[in-house]
Amino acid sequence: MNGEIAFWILSAIAVLGALVAVRKRNLVHGVFALLVFFAGLSGLFLLLLAEFIAAVQVLVYIGAVGILLLFAIMLTERVAGDDGRRMTSRGWFWGLLAATAIFLVLLLPPIQQWPAPEAAQTVEPSVEQLGHKLMNPYVITLEVLALLLTAALIGAVTAAQAVRLDKEDEPPV
Amino acid sequence: MTLHHYLILAAVLFTIGLIGAFTRRNAIVVLFSIEIMLNAANLNFIAFWRYSDNPELLYGILFTLFAIAVAAAEVAVGLALVIAVYRHFRSIDLEVMDTLKEE
Repeated sequence: MNGEIAFWILSAIAVLGALVAVRKRNLVHGVFALLVFFAGLSGLFLLLLAEFIAAVQVLVYIGAVGILLLFAIMLTERVAGDDGRRMTSRGWFWGLLAATAIFLVLLLPPIQQWPAPEAAQTVEPSVEQLGHKLMNPYVITLEVLALLLTAALIGAVTAAQAVRLDKEDEPPV
Repeated sequence: MTLHHYLILAAVLFTIGLIGAFTRRNAIVVLFSIEIMLNAANLNFIAFWRYSDNPELLYGILFTLFAIAVAAAEVAVGLALVIAVYRHFRSIDLEVMDTLKEE
């Protein structure tokens, strides 16, 4: 019963946060709404007994991604966003139509087997097993992921670097 | 709560992200719409893990963990690209970036 109330409250927070984030004209307000969405989703992960993922969600999304988005906004457009100009793209109607069609397709699998599986057996806390799994069968994946993050770091720095326009007076390498 | 509650919630969130990505013209808003979609997919993974027959295998959790790490890399590179594009076009409006379009 309590879980049900928590589910409805958290999903309302997540849906409202996502809606405001997508529709808000002011970009900074949009990012804060996005953080509310991430927090609601983190609560849903807790409700599903995935406590480690909930913690990672708070650390990575609310912490790192939020700050990164705020910095990107402050480095680019005016903070107030694109006021005065059109907010939506030219083909917005077709975009809306395509999104609705995809939504209906996504609803098909739950509708097709309607007697839904009830809540399974309780799951014991999984952080310790998760650590063992990451060290034993999935260590290659972990290493590849570390490599990917390093590559992303280097790539981000290279892409965001200012392009030197005075290359002419340097000797060609 | 049944599995279907979570599946429908994830479908709704995914659609909100999709609408944002399809209808907004600000590159940063499109980027965080993509984040909303990735998070909806993660919610699906976790819900399927919770309602699976043998959750002690932790497949859903592991996949979500890796997906979050890849998404973090994607955000970093994406925002760097947005900043590079802003330097070039003096705008992050997606309709300004039409260099590849034949007039």
